[in-house]
Amino acid sequence: MRFHLPALNHGVMDPAPALYVIRIHGHLGATVLSAFPAMASRLQGAETVLTGLLDRSALYGVLAEVEALGLDLLEVHQLTPHRRSPELGDSRSP
Amino acid sequence: MDRAAARRVTIISAPAGSGKTSLLRAWAGRPGQPHQFAVMQVQRDQRDAQQFWLALLGAVRQACAPASRAEPPAATPDFNAPAMVDRVLSELADARGDITLVIDDLHELNSPEALAQLTRLLTNLPPQVHAMLTTRHDLRLGLHQLRLAGELAEIRAADLRFSERETRELLDASGITLSDAGAALLHRRTEGWAAGLRLAALSLAGHPDPERFVAEFSGSDRTVAEYLIAEMLERQPADVQDLLLRTSLLDRVNGELADLLTGRPGSERILLELEDANAFVESLDPERTWFRYHHLFADLLRLELRRTLPEEVPGLHRRAAEWFIRHGQLAEAIRHTQAAGDWPEAARLLADHSFSLTLDGQAQTIQALLQAFPPGADYPELALVHATVDLVQGRLDEAAAHLAVAETHAETAPPDRQRRLRVAIASLKLSLARRRGHLAGVIEQVRFLASPVTGQSDEDIALDRDLRAVALMNLGTAEAWSLGLPDAERHLREGAVLAREIGRPYLEVGCLAQLGFAYIFHGAALPKIHPFAMTQARCREAIALAERYGWGAEPVIAPALMTLAGTMVFLGEFDEGERWLRRTERALQTDTGPDITLLLHQTAGILHAGRGRRHEALEEFSAAEHLGSQLEGSQALASQVTGWLLATQARLGRPGEARACLAALADERAGSGEIRNARAVICLAEGDPAGALDAVADVLDGTAPVLGYVTVVEANLLAGLAHRELGDQRAANQAAERALALAESDRLVLPFAMTGSRELLEALPRHETAHAALLADILDVLHGSSPAAREQSSLPPAEELSPGELRVLRYLPTNLSRPEIAGELSVSPSTVSTHVRSIYAKLQVRDRSSAVQRARELRLLAAGRTR
Repeated sequence: MRFHLPALNHGVMDPAPALYVIRIHGHLGATVLSAFPAMASRLQGAETVLTGLLDRSALYGVLAEVEALGLDLLEVHQLTPHRRSPELGDSRSP
Repeated sequence: MDRAAARRVTIISAPAGSGKTSLLRAWAGRPGQPHQFAVMQVQRDQRDAQQFWLALLGAVRQACAPASRAEPPAATPDFNAPAMVDRVLSELADARGDITLVIDDLHELNSPEALAQLTRLLTNLPPQVHAMLTTRHDLRLGLHQLRLAGELAEIRAADLRFSERETRELLDASGITLSDAGAALLHRRTEGWAAGLRLAALSLAGHPDPERFVAEFSGSDRTVAEYLIAEMLERQPADVQDLLLRTSLLDRVNGELADLLTGRPGSERILLELEDANAFVESLDPERTWFRYHHLFADLLRLELRRTLPEEVPGLHRRAAEWFIRHGQLAEAIRHTQAAGDWPEAARLLADHSFSLTLDGQAQTIQALLQAFPPGADYPELALVHATVDLVQGRLDEAAAHLAVAETHAETAPPDRQRRLRVAIASLKLSLARRRGHLAGVIEQVRFLASPVTGQSDEDIALDRDLRAVALMNLGTAEAWSLGLPDAERHLREGAVLAREIGRPYLEVGCLAQLGFAYIFHGAALPKIHPFAMTQARCREAIALAERYGWGAEPVIAPALMTLAGTMVFLGEFDEGERWLRRTERALQTDTGPDITLLLHQTAGILHAGRGRRHEALEEFSAAEHLGSQLEGSQALASQVTGWLLATQARLGRPGEARACLAALADERAGSGEIRNARAVICLAEGDPAGALDAVADVLDGTAPVLGYVTVVEANLLAGLAHRELGDQRAANQAAERALALAESDRLVLPFAMTGSRELLEALPRHETAHAALLADILDVLHGSSPAAREQSSLPPAEELSPGELRVLRYLPTNLSRPEIAGELSVSPSTVSTHVRSIYAKLQVRDRSSAVQRARELRLLAAGRTR
């Protein structure tokens, strides 16, 4: 078996969960929403917006559910600024 | 679709509910469809490569040869994936007419190894075979080459979408009256999504006001699937709703199981009705006893069950688990026990059954079950399971570590479990000791397993019989390796008989394969009974049995394949030997144990040596010797390998090196017949024939221990060579004659080739030998194997034989019948008969034996002549 090394390293270096926003077309009812217990949902127009603190494998688990349930995925994005490097911060300070 | 099917491979890649499977079915079921179909559906979350391939092979068999006599494809504990791909390919190649191989739900295959092998299958399909794959997402199959060659067709979601006209047609076909505006609305709302349209059609059929239904549906913002499934469920009677919900947690369901989960009878009728109504329920067998739900439908039902009846879910899983245990489907039972959250119970079940699951060839399934336990939690019972998996996959050190943990746990286990755990541990330790060549360890564990047992459940007795059969196989194998010959034979025979009684063909094949190997030593000590012929017969018997189960190229049969190859080489059938050796190599692709690999090198070494390729032989003997030093116990063949290694060094003009190695040997080994022979070879290379005679004296008078009479044949030949050097032709002739006399019963050729005795034999006057026929055969082979002789080969054949005829010709000296030859060559018996007739005509002979004789004269059977 081959490993994808960058992803593996990334996983090791960045285990902290991040806040993800997932937009899905259509209104999810109680049944489908129960597939995403770790996510908060709200309706926005004809869309459903799911928000939750997920680590990498939880994120892929959510995406797998989206696929399995045949949902119409519109957007996935991460809210938390991603991996701020302390050295970078230091160099900017006067 | 027809256009797509013109390509070699078609991939239908589209999301859930796009109608992938329906499209395939409609296309396959079309009247006048010229293809035969081999259809398989990948099980949910399939992580076991072997289970995937067995299902695929089963589907191919059913399509190619529905009435085949062969046993159904069976699993083995040590699965050889590349060999399996070869088997599927060869079955497909033998099929008549166009075959379409359909693999549905390929996204469920969660085994990178299986995907890689599948890539190989797809890129090597025979010309009359097409493959169609359905998947929810694009897979990592390396099909670029097919794509570049224009051999890959891809059908994607957009292609599967229903047009407005098709929507209309679907509604009409379902007998639904809806206005054009309504149909257009429905099409827009579902975006032509197949599952949406089918669900809508189900709700619309018999709906009092279809227009209103469509209007309400369009007015809702809920997702299509959820809205429509809720609608459809609501329209079902309460008992049907309840059945669908409660059975949704099964991957497949039958009437009995559904009755059990709903607590009501009559489920089978409901399931049949649902299938007839096209309600996302389909039967899995022609008798319509097992059913499954469409995946998307099942997923939504499961969510609904968890949401509405959460407190019942663990109980439902428990009931399902009990049913599966009663019906011997342990992997499924363990899965449900895990789903019920009964982790300690799941660990206990897995520990109790990991041994039999391994024998059933489900090691990868065990591994998937292990991974399902919550991370970080500590279930001591699982150490035993880890050890089992490690052992199957050859990780011996890890297996030992896990066994140590399991032993500690067994000490604190309740008394009723202690005995069971101890038996399992002892059996694993036995396998471990065997793999490490540690005979003392084997015997110690066997003693424990042989202790009498009383007051056990049926399950315990079944386990005991499994364990006992494995113990006998391991014990016999270890004995064969360390020369405990009569015991080895007895134990392996007992093991084979027991294995047959308890229905474990894998163990029966394993015992018989090792028996072939054991017998070559046992028999070789008794030249009077044609040991090589007997050994060959036993090996072929074991191989035939293995082939019945489709294990002709699995590691389990490798010892018999290898032994057969070795005997062929001893009898001077070098090409034949090489063929069996190649097959052994294929069988050992997934097993790299030092014991069997050692034999592989040794056999390759004698093959090279027989053909006069001494440099190559030296390399193989060195590799074998190196592996031998890694085995814990002393092994039977050690002195033989070392002897051949030293002799080959000396014959290559490096007697100094050989002498240095000789000096480093312990006295006990240096005194063996094999090493004494090597010493004689060294002396001859050093120009000291008297020393050589001295070295073999103890072998000739029977005082030195020898592995078999082959060593004595060799010693006589070395003595003959030494007498020739000393100018004593008479003594040389006598020695050669003695060697021939010993070799006669088996018609042994190899020692003559290895010792370079051609001139010695040629000098032997024909009227002085009682073995003229054998002598002629041997010289035939020796001429063929000497490079100089090969180049100046005279006697052009009357008419050149075709490659196919030459292949058949090489089987004529064997005792295989025409159908057997056909089996060996994977061609039909009539092809073989055609070739045989044409061989007779070209060689101008009228029967098999004169064909063989004529072929020998023409050097058509000589080594290296044809390849």
